[in-house]
Amino acid sequence: MNLSRPDRPQRLDALAAEYALGTLPPRARLRLSRAAASDGAIAAAIRDWEMRLAVLTEGIAPVTPPPRVWAGIVSRLGLAASGAAGADVPWWSRLTFWRRFALTSFALAMAFGVTLFMPGPKAPDQPIVTVLAGPDAKPVLIATALRGDRTMTIKVVGAATVPAGKALELWMLPDGSAPKSLGVIPDSGVGRVTLPAAPDVALANVPALAVSLEPAGGSPTGAPTGPVLYSGKVERFY
Amino acid sequence: MFCGGRAACNVAESGKSPERNVRLAALLARVALGDQAAFAELDALTSSHLYGVAVRILKDGALAEKVLQEAFVSVWHHAGSYDAAKSQPSTWLAAVIRNRCLDLIRRRELDTVTMTTDDDEGREFDLPSGDPTPVEMLLAGADARAVRDCVDALDAGPKQAIALAFYQGLSHAELADHLRQPLGTVKSWVRRALERLKGCLDRVGYTRT
Repeated sequence: MNLSRPDRPQRLDALAAEYALGTLPPRARLRLSRAAASDGAIAAAIRDWEMRLAVLTEGIAPVTPPPRVWAGIVSRLGLAASGAAGADVPWWSRLTFWRRFALTSFALAMAFGVTLFMPGPKAPDQPIVTVLAGPDAKPVLIATALRGDRTMTIKVVGAATVPAGKALELWMLPDGSAPKSLGVIPDSGVGRVTLPAAPDVALANVPALAVSLEPAGGSPTGAPTGPVLYSGKVERFY
Repeated sequence: MFCGGRAACNVAESGKSPERNVRLAALLARVALGDQAAFAELDALTSSHLYGVAVRILKDGALAEKVLQEAFVSVWHHAGSYDAAKSQPSTWLAAVIRNRCLDLIRRRELDTVTMTTDDDEGREFDLPSGDPTPVEMLLAGADARAVRDCVDALDAGPKQAIALAFYQGLSHAELADHLRQPLGTVKSWVRRALERLKGCLDRVGYTRT
């Protein structure tokens, strides 16, 4: 399988087609899937063919698997005992989320070299700042509210990629209760949302903010429906 | 399945409606964050379809269970590698289960010095009677009219070869045996059928929908 020849695209396409169909002989199949792991063009050729053929799996009659399959998955992964028990626990209260969040906050504090808790006199222009970052800890949004103003300003400082038909929605994550929406925010430039009360009150019990990906116009349910993309700890400069 | 033996009536259930795919994409994204509730819902929404695919290809309920379990364990660990910009979640999941089934079948071939028809008898699995033939499934699966037309336009032999390979995981040699054709003929049937399918699907703009 020499894929460096000039006719590579045609040969690659033919190999990817037989891989997706399943007729590629065992050794060639193994070699191609290994090559795909480090070569984006090979992976893309395979993906294109998987997409072309995927619709054909819909002609296959569904068969309900025995409950022991799910039980086995849960026990192999060491998850909560049943799907129903897990279903009660939304993402914003999962340990994994907070563990990641804590790491991100720490990384940000290190990266910014900021002493985050500075005692001082209280004044209306003292800011409450949240730097929101994705799992890679790179800052994407900075949300700022001044103590005397209910407007929270959101500045996009990183690359926020939002698919067409989707929107970013900003949430307060109150301690011990469900997220509260602050509204849809832009994916570039500067946006503004209005807090439900003065920042000291509205954010009193809110240790963190998060941004989830929602349908255009925002979550239809009032609760986050999409993945959380960015999160950050609410920091007071006083 | 109480569907009178036709696969077509299941299409809606396993379907690829945009709403379903939006939901699945959101669930996969949450699974990538370690969200167990999303994982449980993903299982509830997709396991019957995926198990059906595994049973169909492997013809062995116990093996299909094992593969389904491995597939979901892998999804839990690798949901983050799903890229919503590149494929539909239902496509991605179907590829995950099919590839695991095919890897298993092909690995078994590597372990077997000679592949004889006797090997098939060890993995018989009772499928519901009145089950659609592979070609019927091929057409039932091609619910989008354009795809159906493209599949239907293939010649009978190549169409049969594609259907058997896709739904039963048959290799070139097994196809030749099954269809009583020389190996070279079957290989070129498969190659040409895939080329024609691609040309036809690309012409009607089917890719990436």
